[in-house]
Amino acid sequence: MDLNTNKKTMIEDLERGLYDIKDNFDYSYKTETGLTPEIILQISEQKNEPAWMTEFRLKSLQIYHELDVPPWGPDISELDINNIVTYVKPKTDLNNTWEEVPNDIKNTFTRLGIPEAEHKSLAGVGAQYDSEVVYHSIKEELVKQGVIYTDMESALREHEQIIKEYFMTCIPPRDHKFAALHGAVWSGGSFVYIPEGIHVDIPLQSYFRSNAPGAGQFEHTLIIVEKGASLHFIEGCSAPKYSVNNLHAGCVELFVKENARLRYSTIENWSKNMFNLNTKRCIVEKDGLIEWVSGSFGSKVSMLYPMSVLKGERARAEFTGVTFAGHGQVLDTGAKVIHAAPYTTSVINSKSISKDGGKAIYRGALKVAANAHHSKATISCESLMLDNKSVSDTIPALVLLNDEVDIGHEAKIGRISDDAIFYLMSRGLSETDARAMIVRGFVEPIAKELPLEYAVEMNNLIKLELEGTIG
Amino acid sequence: MNTAKHINREESIRSSTSHNLNILPATTYRWLKLNQLQLEIPDWDSKHSYHKEFLKNSNYDINEQNTQDIVLKKMDASLLLPNHIKASLAKKMEYGVSKEVIEECERSYNSGVFVHVGKEKTILNPIRIEYALDQDNPQVTDFNLIYAEANSQLTIIMDYSNSDNSETIHKGATQIIAKEGSEVTLVKIQRMNDKSHHFDSIFSTVDYNATVNYIQVELGSKNSVTNYKSILNEAGKADLASIYFGDGKRTIDLNYLMEHKGRRSISNIQTKGALKDTAVKTFRGTIDFQLGASKSEGAEEEYVILLDKKVKSNAIPLLLCSEDDVKGHHAASAGKVDKEKLFYMMSRGFCKEEALKMIVEASFLPTIEKIADHELRSIIQKEIHRRLMNEKL
Repeated sequence: MDLNTNKKTMIEDLERGLYDIKDNFDYSYKTETGLTPEIILQISEQKNEPAWMTEFRLKSLQIYHELDVPPWGPDISELDINNIVTYVKPKTDLNNTWEEVPNDIKNTFTRLGIPEAEHKSLAGVGAQYDSEVVYHSIKEELVKQGVIYTDMESALREHEQIIKEYFMTCIPPRDHKFAALHGAVWSGGSFVYIPEGIHVDIPLQSYFRSNAPGAGQFEHTLIIVEKGASLHFIEGCSAPKYSVNNLHAGCVELFVKENARLRYSTIENWSKNMFNLNTKRCIVEKDGLIEWVSGSFGSKVSMLYPMSVLKGERARAEFTGVTFAGHGQVLDTGAKVIHAAPYTTSVINSKSISKDGGKAIYRGALKVAANAHHSKATISCESLMLDNKSVSDTIPALVLLNDEVDIGHEAKIGRISDDAIFYLMSRGLSETDARAMIVRGFVEPIAKELPLEYAVEMNNLIKLELEGTIG
Repeated sequence: MNTAKHINREESIRSSTSHNLNILPATTYRWLKLNQLQLEIPDWDSKHSYHKEFLKNSNYDINEQNTQDIVLKKMDASLLLPNHIKASLAKKMEYGVSKEVIEECERSYNSGVFVHVGKEKTILNPIRIEYALDQDNPQVTDFNLIYAEANSQLTIIMDYSNSDNSETIHKGATQIIAKEGSEVTLVKIQRMNDKSHHFDSIFSTVDYNATVNYIQVELGSKNSVTNYKSILNEAGKADLASIYFGDGKRTIDLNYLMEHKGRRSISNIQTKGALKDTAVKTFRGTIDFQLGASKSEGAEEEYVILLDKKVKSNAIPLLLCSEDDVKGHHAASAGKVDKEKLFYMMSRGFCKEEALKMIVEASFLPTIEKIADHELRSIIQKEIHRRLMNEKL
């Protein structure tokens, strides 16, 4: 009897296995509410995409169903993973009105001194920045030099071959569940191509490009900086972007070719109901340089670890990041570097602040491959805690497969000393101002890496965040 | 009869079970494969015994009536423990390389000691426990309990080695309870042969104003997996100084956790190591400031000298913090021997090997000097020297 049952189970298993292997669109995990190939086909059809992209999406969907949610890191169980389709195809109308934007975001705008007209655009209602005209003339000049700067949908139409060559090769869908999700449902984003030897002097900013409604959540950014060229790219959302969707799973793929330089700056300040599960990665060729400047202020949960793959000799990576976790936030951020070639260098500088029950986590990884002799790496993490309701963790990992290396790692944790506050107050500052001044000093190394208007905004944000910390 | 026993053992060596050991207190990316160590542990039944005498001090003859200052007995199920010690044992604490290994040690030990130092007593002579495993004594499963009453002082040294070249195994668990104002120093030296296995777990509770010092020397065995956890209550102090030398195909896996529970507690982890040949080392060190541990300080450092191209060095120094009024610091660094130092030594007439040896030994010296036993210090230094110079036994 027992034997029979066993046999039967085995056959069933076998059948199922075969079914899974088949490249079948009617995936076995299919449920009523789940993400289905039909939805993917619909997205692809609407966008009028080439067949390979449709296929890519469907394959990613299959991988998405195969992979599990990472067992480490912050709790994202609140995210309705079994019903992910609600984030992809929301039933709620995206074109919400200014009145629907929550009060705390509206108030923040007002306190930041941003004019009413811009409020609306920053809140993602209009999703168009006023300054388009200013950039327009610059764009003309760049176009003459062969620079391509367009949205991903147009890029797929106009530069299909380049996209096909690079799209999700840096971050393959198999990387993790949310990369697979991105591969299946991506929409919107920017494509930048800088030809050999061209230096773009003025930073390109992604928010001047208007995105299709609903595209903000799964946008794909692809930047290729050819040999000897240079670029400074600033990623959108400089202010709270309110959205009915609360999952952001974007992808940023950067390719820095021989002797090229790229600086990628971000100030992320999503609304505080957002799960920000973004993936950013850069492949740096010989003598190339990638500089990440990253500020994380918003979102409910963030899992964001820009990775630099130093593929060519003497390639360099620099990461400067600040994370500010306030009430109800879990910001799990950091940087990953893989030294995959000799004489490569990386510097990671991370600062985190947590207050009012916020959780700031630095999570990093550094791997030096067996062939990457004469590599150098420095990692420095500093955490500031403003009260004992908050949490601050440092979780770095170092993997060295080679002896000709010079690796240093250091982390510090602590709080603002009462002496410093007392001194500043004796000089006539209020306690709030004194505290804000110290925190600003703490993040100064990051602030100075940002364009002026961003730095000002970051300082304002810090001041706003700090208000209410004290009595 | 004797041969039959040996054949049995050979068979049992062949079977082994995969275990997840030294799990990181806060897990991270899976692709790094550093969240735990997955290792095959030979399935030896607990029949394998250890018959040799392991207590070395003539001062503390186990058969004689112990003095009032100290009770020192071999661990035995029939031991009559004082009630307050029993009560502190009953609290099931999570520690160790893995739950299974700990349970095995606590249940089916074949050696180990119970040490109880009386109030205000200072034990001047270190207690020495030595295990020399061999073909006839292939397995040590020791369970040790060290209980230091208020304001007492004690040093205990445990040494694990082999007296022949057969495959042997040591699994051990040690619990230290340091009451108010006491100071316990535990020295563990592991210099087993390159075929053997070593799994050791230590758990200490540090009460008000008490100090627990742990000095760890890791020099041998094929797989060495060690785990140290300390719970620091108010004003408790835990100091950990360790050195490791990895050569051949050795796997060294260290997992340290300092849990600050009380105010003004202090922890310090200082690890120095050198890796040679194709040795693999994973260092996991965690300082955990829990809510209520204000005014506490924790520091952690790991320095490793890499001597060969094929070595593998992993490090995850964690800093977990739920209390703002603390000072936490950790640092890790890795690299080759400083070229200028090497050049200088060579310009003074030392050959390269000799110079290398001196630099590595110099970095180990501060830790070795903490061991209060002249004879052991020289044994350790000789062993490091031998392994550095690739000398055969």
